[in-house]
Amino acid sequence: MLHDRRQFLAKTGGGLGLAALATLLAEDRLLADTDPLRVRPTHFKATAKSGIFIFLVGGTSQVDLFDSKPALAKLHGKPIPESFRKGVRLGQTTFAAPVMQSPFMFRRYGQCGMEMSELLPQIGACADDIALVRSMHHAAFDHAPGEIMLSTGKEQPGRPTMGSWLTYGLGSENRDLPGYVVLLNGRSPKARSLVWGNGFLSASHQGVIFRGKGSPILDLATPKEFSPESHRAQLDAIKTLNEFRREETGDSKLDSQIAAYELAYRMQSAAPELADLSKETKATKEAYGESGFARSLLLARRLIERGVRHVLVTHPEWDLHEKINQSLPGICREIDQPIAALLKDLKGRGLLDSTLVTCASEFGRTAITQGKDLATAGRDHHPHAYSIWLAGGGVRGGQVIGATDELGWKVTEDPVHMNDFHATLLHLFGLDHKKLTFRHQGLDARLTDVAGTVVKKLLHA
Amino acid sequence: MRLALLAMFMVVLLGSHAVAEPVDFARDVRPIFAKRCVGCHGPKKHEGGLRLDLRRTTFQGGDSGPAFVPGTSTGEALKRLVSKDEKLRMPLHEEPIPAKEIATLQAWAEQGAKWPEELAGQDPAANHWAFRSIQRPAIPTVSNRSRLRNAIDAFVLARLEATSSTLAPEADRRTLVRRLYLDLHGLPPSPGEIDRFAQDASPNSYERLVDRLLASPHFGERWGRHWLDLARFAESDGYENDNLRQNAWRFRDWVIEAVNRDQPFNQFTIDQLAGDLRPGATLEQKVATGFHRNTLWNSAASGDKEEFRTLAIKDRTDTTGMAWMGLTLGCAQCHGHKYDPIAHREYYQLYAFFNKTDHDELKLGDSKTSAPVLREGTRPTRVHTRGSFLQPGVEVLPSTPVFLPPLRPRDAKADRLDLANWLVNPSHPLTARVAVNRFWIHLFGTGLVPTPENFGTNGTPPKHPELLDWLASEFVRQGWSRKAMIRLIVLSETYRQSSVAGMKETDSANSLFGRQNRFRVEAEIVRDLSLSTSGLLVTTFGGPSIVPAFPEGFLDQKFTAEALKMPGADRHRRGIYIHVQRTLQHPTLAAFDGADGNQPCARRDRSTTPLQALTLLNDPVYVECARSLGNRLLSPGTTEERLRHGFELCLSRSPKNRELVVLKDLVSTQLKLGMKEEVVWFGIARVLLNLEEFTTRE
Repeated sequence: MLHDRRQFLAKTGGGLGLAALATLLAEDRLLADTDPLRVRPTHFKATAKSGIFIFLVGGTSQVDLFDSKPALAKLHGKPIPESFRKGVRLGQTTFAAPVMQSPFMFRRYGQCGMEMSELLPQIGACADDIALVRSMHHAAFDHAPGEIMLSTGKEQPGRPTMGSWLTYGLGSENRDLPGYVVLLNGRSPKARSLVWGNGFLSASHQGVIFRGKGSPILDLATPKEFSPESHRAQLDAIKTLNEFRREETGDSKLDSQIAAYELAYRMQSAAPELADLSKETKATKEAYGESGFARSLLLARRLIERGVRHVLVTHPEWDLHEKINQSLPGICREIDQPIAALLKDLKGRGLLDSTLVTCASEFGRTAITQGKDLATAGRDHHPHAYSIWLAGGGVRGGQVIGATDELGWKVTEDPVHMNDFHATLLHLFGLDHKKLTFRHQGLDARLTDVAGTVVKKLLHA
Repeated sequence: MRLALLAMFMVVLLGSHAVAEPVDFARDVRPIFAKRCVGCHGPKKHEGGLRLDLRRTTFQGGDSGPAFVPGTSTGEALKRLVSKDEKLRMPLHEEPIPAKEIATLQAWAEQGAKWPEELAGQDPAANHWAFRSIQRPAIPTVSNRSRLRNAIDAFVLARLEATSSTLAPEADRRTLVRRLYLDLHGLPPSPGEIDRFAQDASPNSYERLVDRLLASPHFGERWGRHWLDLARFAESDGYENDNLRQNAWRFRDWVIEAVNRDQPFNQFTIDQLAGDLRPGATLEQKVATGFHRNTLWNSAASGDKEEFRTLAIKDRTDTTGMAWMGLTLGCAQCHGHKYDPIAHREYYQLYAFFNKTDHDELKLGDSKTSAPVLREGTRPTRVHTRGSFLQPGVEVLPSTPVFLPPLRPRDAKADRLDLANWLVNPSHPLTARVAVNRFWIHLFGTGLVPTPENFGTNGTPPKHPELLDWLASEFVRQGWSRKAMIRLIVLSETYRQSSVAGMKETDSANSLFGRQNRFRVEAEIVRDLSLSTSGLLVTTFGGPSIVPAFPEGFLDQKFTAEALKMPGADRHRRGIYIHVQRTLQHPTLAAFDGADGNQPCARRDRSTTPLQALTLLNDPVYVECARSLGNRLLSPGTTEERLRHGFELCLSRSPKNRELVVLKDLVSTQLKLGMKEEVVWFGIARVLLNLEEFTTRE
């Protein structure tokens, strides 16, 4: 029956509307249980349907932005007390470097009175939607291992990233677009494609880069020699010949292949439509701002609006080994308005409740300097205690989780290891991190490796 | 004080028990274990990595050493029972056990620690099929003898007949020649070749074709790539800087060359693991040790470089385990293996072989370049408590797990050469089984053991265990010849079966191999097929890698600026010669589940995605192929002749009528759209190169 209809479709060529084609393919998908991106049931009720992960590449300084430490002022320019040195590994800096107070003030924001830097007033204005975690920690203190830890739950390359696990576990609601999209700004993360790679999962779960220039997806554009009509005619021929082969071999894998070509075709129109911001209102565009990063966040909203599961947006240059006092305000300005606009926009459209927005770095930065001259000093990498924040998607906003000692050096309360964060992220999506497994090299591998506890405080009661 | 007294008492006992009665395990020893020890060192808890309820694990010992050493009183258990250190003394936080019991254990150990086989305990791991020695099974008899070409068929057919089934019919000759070309070369046969073979009625035409393919250097490119997957071959460091490794290709070329000259697999193994330690090692044997130079390196490490050095040693240990033994050794890095009989301490005994290695650059006589190789150094090894290099435990010496045959080192200090010899000793239960299973994978799409990376208790057991063992023993008997085994398999009736017959019937997973499998070729081969079919392929062998252009705006990386300058035809070389950058896999290869060199890859995924469609339809390389093939089709002739030619080039067969109709319609549709003839044929070529059948090995 279905087959007859397909042949009918093939004979009529491109004459049928896209809608009819889509319906037919939706039926194909029901048949093709091999489709790796078909929507799958959650383990329990999800609060988040989609995720926007804002990766501030390089390592944000918690003691300058998210975790106010007045004690730094008292020790400013002095060596760090002995009690802080034991058992702490350092990267490039040494204990000879002095403690440095933040060159910037902290302010209280929102009804909740959350403390954040004066450099982030607009994000601060959203504090009542934000859950700030001040007790993140792990052990990787170089960029690539830290990025790989943040993305995959382990320091060594080779494992799937968060978005890959999500599309593996849940599929994607929109099949005209990839389920997992990557929007890069400025220089790439140091671990490059390992930050959005599929590791040992199938290539269906790769993060797909949307480019700022040219066609948004690689190889999206048909060669210029072919008109839309000839392109479609060629695709129809491919489809019919593949269907003949399906009939001759009885091999159901051909159904997936036929579906993949139709999806590719629809992606060719869906992706440019998505990237075209001309239909957005002037007010919306102005709210986000002009920068490439602002455009990425607006695209991110458009992607999750269309059912894409996970969007990774990067922002570069947080690796401030020097001149924190001069550089930080400008970098904060680049993110403050667009991120606040995203949160408000999602909220205004009723999407924030089902969209988990995360803003995180691979690690934080040291309370001591790198470089002795306090006027030009920066801070080194510090994975032992740092801050990230989450909003929407079932996260209880207006709260701070965890605490660090008086120098923001070690976690003192409610430690959240990266594996705990990942367990919580999956939980919000309705997935039990211990059940979302893939058999790899003899083990049931997980995003949370062999650890992870859901941070209950992050969730709505 | 009490302890001191006890110790004195022990001394008295030690002096006296030399004349003691023989100790009986069941009567005297087991009750002591049960009462005093097994609560913490038994089936539920394995404190300190020790279990005393099984014979194997008792002699394997715990994290701090063997619990009992037969014939001596040096075992860790005996030391702990009388230790003066409260933190060490067993039972922990309890009164010491009675001196009489300690004396009994001591006497038992000194008398040889005899533990009868029948009391060895329920130890599924020790009895696991893959850990038993390989016995050459008898070739079974079958009813339908007409389908027997060699022993393989007897094993497969016997199982099929037991389920009232039989082998699928033989595939037609055009399918066979294409299958052989794709499996053995990864390149398509030319139409002339196909015709010659299809019409050659001589009785040994198939054998002759196989022998010719095995003798061609393209064979080494195809099968060398399989090995490079396991060798996690790449040409950059990985991690942040991901610096280029200019001379890594020397190892790639060594592999291709070794496969082409059919270096016996045992020698192939020894060269790669310990070529530098062979007496009078040749340059090639040293270059072979580049296998373990393929580890990642974080040159940007700001902290302790030791962290990444130890990670590289763990990678060498784990990769050796997977590539040769199909073992997931890495699971024992932090604690005893959860499923397989590998103790935490034993992991570090294997690690100790590689922990001694240092890096060297071998100067090559022919040029100014060098090759990355291994050199033996000296470095003691300690167990990493909970897997952390910051928490060193007891010191261990290089050795192998006790559940496998004993290591026989050449002298007191075992080294990598001993390890390599141990792996290829015919008594080793895993090496030959794992190797022949891999041959099978590449000739049938799936293995006799479907989990080639895991022959342990958590892997999937074979449906044809006798066939696997027969092949393994045959492999050793044939002098570990890779080509002999591949030849044997491809000459079998089992290999020659049709891949499409009976697909809808029982055994849909085809685990009994009652037909061939049809499957998509690997990322590199997708590319090789397109380049070859369109006449663009450059078949230069070996040498430095090529860097195909990375798409504009894809990533603004340091590699791309240089990449775009790659001159002329070089970029049309085979996929195996594409530069592998660990943090930046080429998108056209990544789309087809290529191997990125970050971890050993025992089997490639075969996903089907829309990005693959976009790649084959629109990526510059594939567009270039379609354009070139289109031009090839433009030679004088009718539309039908051209279409037939295109079909034969791409699919190694003639088109069926209805297929011709579809393509003729497309020609006329495109003409009606006002397209120029050359563009019309460019479009036809694009269709042919995008057919599922084109990238499928049938």
